[in-house]
Amino acid sequence: MAVDMTMPILVVDDYNTMIRIIRNLLKQLGFEDIDDASDGSAALAKMREKRYGLVISDWNMEPMTGYELLKEVRADPGLNKTPFIMVTAESKTENVIAAKKAGVNNYIVKPFNAQTLKTKIEAVFAE
Amino acid sequence: MALADASHFDRLIEFLRQKRDNVTFHDIITLAEVAAQSLQGFFQAMDAKVYGELREIAGYIESMRREIGVLQVNELKNTRIPSAGEELGAIVKATENATNTIMECAEAVMAADASDPAAYKAMVDDKMMVVFEACSFQDITGQRIAKVVETLQHIESRVARFADVMQAKDLDGFLTEAERARAERKEKFLLNGPQLEGQGHDQKMVDKLFG
Repeated sequence: MAVDMTMPILVVDDYNTMIRIIRNLLKQLGFEDIDDASDGSAALAKMREKRYGLVISDWNMEPMTGYELLKEVRADPGLNKTPFIMVTAESKTENVIAAKKAGVNNYIVKPFNAQTLKTKIEAVFAE
Repeated sequence: MALADASHFDRLIEFLRQKRDNVTFHDIITLAEVAAQSLQGFFQAMDAKVYGELREIAGYIESMRREIGVLQVNELKNTRIPSAGEELGAIVKATENATNTIMECAEAVMAADASDPAAYKAMVDDKMMVVFEACSFQDITGQRIAKVVETLQHIESRVARFADVMQAKDLDGFLTEAERARAERKEKFLLNGPQLEGQGHDQKMVDKLFG
């Protein structure tokens, strides 16, 4: 399945710099409709107002982590089909396994480059 | 160790044996005198023992006071730790400023109109100079980090010495509820990172785990 370049994407990170980096990388890849949120609860509120084609989320945020956001999204019948990519510095086996069990579509370890982001987005929509 | 033995009470026992009936006021006073004399030895022995133990405790407290003094806790609390905190704050600020400057340059170059090559090159050259200047933050932050590391080493050496001298044993648990809540949150939500080199996986390994 081809990636829909017009789909809205929600970037969730508590560091403005990281949001800015991901936003620029996504723009370079051709995506235009990009929103952001600074933690899981802010993201969840936005997701309940607007239908996103993809969520790209950090793990370690306060008050709601990206891991909690993922579980909330997968438990919500209205949101549970939304593709979800975790972009995080949490690179231990237990984190990857937990995210996979919780239903994440792909997992990117920070620091990452544009090519990795592109490859993972394509992989999610090729599923 | 027992401070008294039966011999301390021999006179008292003997007096009571002789006087079982017809107890007078005089007998009671005599009994009190005999009791006081009988217990004198006991109290003297106890005094010496207690005095010795109190001296030992006083010596230990004095040594502990000396060791706490060597820790220089007031200097750590009032000067070194706040100063290290300020250095770390300045590092965060400097890296944030430099990152923003570099990203602004990159965004300006990406958004620039390249139809006039000469003007475009001049603009790119200008932005690249700004990028070079912004990268100078690394020298200053390196020096600030060295100061923080020195403070940590200072604290580590003093705490290690104190723990050795006091033969300190760690207790389980948390100092505050906030500390407990942070630890529980870390465990519950698997907040382990970022990992040091060799402690976590790179993207290739994550892909294998994911696949």
